[in-house]
Amino acid sequence: MTTAALPSLNLPVYRLTLRGLFSGRRILALAALALVPVIAATAFAAGGEVEPDLFWARLLQRLVIPTITAFIAVVIGASAVADEREDGTILYLASTPLSRLTIILSKVAAAWTVTLALVAPALVLAGAIALRGDATAAQFAWPLAGVALAGLCYCAAAAWLAMLLRRPVVIGVLYILLWEGSIATFAASADRFSVAAYGRAIAVEGVIDVNAPDTSAAAAIVVLLAVTAIAVWAAARRMTRTELP
Amino acid sequence: MNGEALVFEKVSRWYGDTVALADVSFALGPGVTGLLGHNGAGKSTALKLCAGFTQPSTGTVRVLGADLARNLDTYRRIGIAHDRDALWPFLTARAMVALCARLRGVRDPDAAAARALDEVGLGDVADRKLRGFSHGMRQRVKLAQALAHDPELLLLDEPLNGLDPAQRRHIVDLVVRLGEEGRTVVVSSHVLHEVERMAPRVLVLVNGHLVASGDTQAIRDLIADRPRSIRLRTDDGRGLGRELVGAGLVESVRFEDDAMVVEAGDVERLGRELPRLARDAGVRLRRVEPVDDDLESVYAYLHERARGVGR
Repeated sequence: MTTAALPSLNLPVYRLTLRGLFSGRRILALAALALVPVIAATAFAAGGEVEPDLFWARLLQRLVIPTITAFIAVVIGASAVADEREDGTILYLASTPLSRLTIILSKVAAAWTVTLALVAPALVLAGAIALRGDATAAQFAWPLAGVALAGLCYCAAAAWLAMLLRRPVVIGVLYILLWEGSIATFAASADRFSVAAYGRAIAVEGVIDVNAPDTSAAAAIVVLLAVTAIAVWAAARRMTRTELP
Repeated sequence: MNGEALVFEKVSRWYGDTVALADVSFALGPGVTGLLGHNGAGKSTALKLCAGFTQPSTGTVRVLGADLARNLDTYRRIGIAHDRDALWPFLTARAMVALCARLRGVRDPDAAAARALDEVGLGDVADRKLRGFSHGMRQRVKLAQALAHDPELLLLDEPLNGLDPAQRRHIVDLVVRLGEEGRTVVVSSHVLHEVERMAPRVLVLVNGHLVASGDTQAIRDLIADRPRSIRLRTDDGRGLGRELVGAGLVESVRFEDDAMVVEAGDVERLGRELPRLARDAGVRLRRVEPVDDDLESVYAYLHERARGVGR
């Protein structure tokens, strides 16, 4: 009874989820998607009509965070839970003494790991090409932090959607396209409810300020972490109340 | 009631307007109990409630003296083989069973997995990936993961589905042994004679209602004793009909197309005497078949009877 202190990660469940996410063809499709910024940077390096710093900032704000990271993290985060709900294997995890928070936390951690494994190397490669070797550490560190935190937040929110709905990927992608990709771009206040906006705010901190939301990087970090915590908690709570699988 | 492993008190579960389980109460102790009912009768809902995978709309479910939702540690003492045909395809049988054992707090999960896989007859394929397993093998992996942590309570949803006759015998023997070891085992099935071989006690669900419970043999007799309709095809229906009524073997006779349908109170006696009667009357029997021997009508009969008793 006294062991119910802090929710912890369960390594076997984390590893199991990793294996599940890495098996199948989906991971190959997402890896190909992660390479799009590299292709874009290569094309620009050949053309060279924009200032490298500016190009890098635009690439991060308009492609890497709101499209590539968002899409990959939502698909992976949702799948980490939804695959097992769909086929029923989640029942094996549910019939263990593990707290629901531990199960969700381990799954979100695995989804985040996979997301970063796909996006981070492509990001570094794209940056190296776009900035033509003329880059500071901050020009990589802040974008990586932005991708990591936005990715974590997307993973957690998608895991919650997967506990809530039968088609979490469809709903998650619709949110990215309609809300973050469209409404939030012309209605400035809608930006406050956009994960990508906070991710962008962090990512461009060390680059240059173009078209960045009016949030400071520090505030954005706090918001993303808070949303992540709430989503994980809500998903775990949902897991105790909803009918499984 | 405290000694009972599984207690349902006035449990109902509905989904929107559909009632899956209606005011069901029972208490089960050690030994094997069959949960019998046709598809959609509420067996899986009942087992889901036992396993804590869903919550009752009203009433209480107590598993090993606890409310599972608040007492997750109880899962160390429960083994569940649910109805979904689900395994992690990328794991080997050994890895999956060991993982389940580890998560349920078994100290030496690898040894537990080896033992459980041997027990269900999968020892020699333990290191193969589950992806390539046949339905019968998958069914037995589900059973192995339910056994590996040596649970006191076992919930087995249709464990014989997809097994060939030899495998069925093996699993029936295993279930019987688990019951004899003093574990509480609940086995669901829609086939009475299957349950009969494993479970001395049975609960019968019809449309979400518990319509009969108790000694399996007594319920078997109850079912056998109900009046039944038999369709007879002969070359002289009317002649044979007269003889059957005259001998008091049937309660009614009616003619449908080219066949005669009789209602018999004692089917076994009819079966014994019909050939002799037909021979004496010079009537040739072409075909004899029960009209309502399907399970639906058995359950409908029990349902009617339960309602009659309740009135």
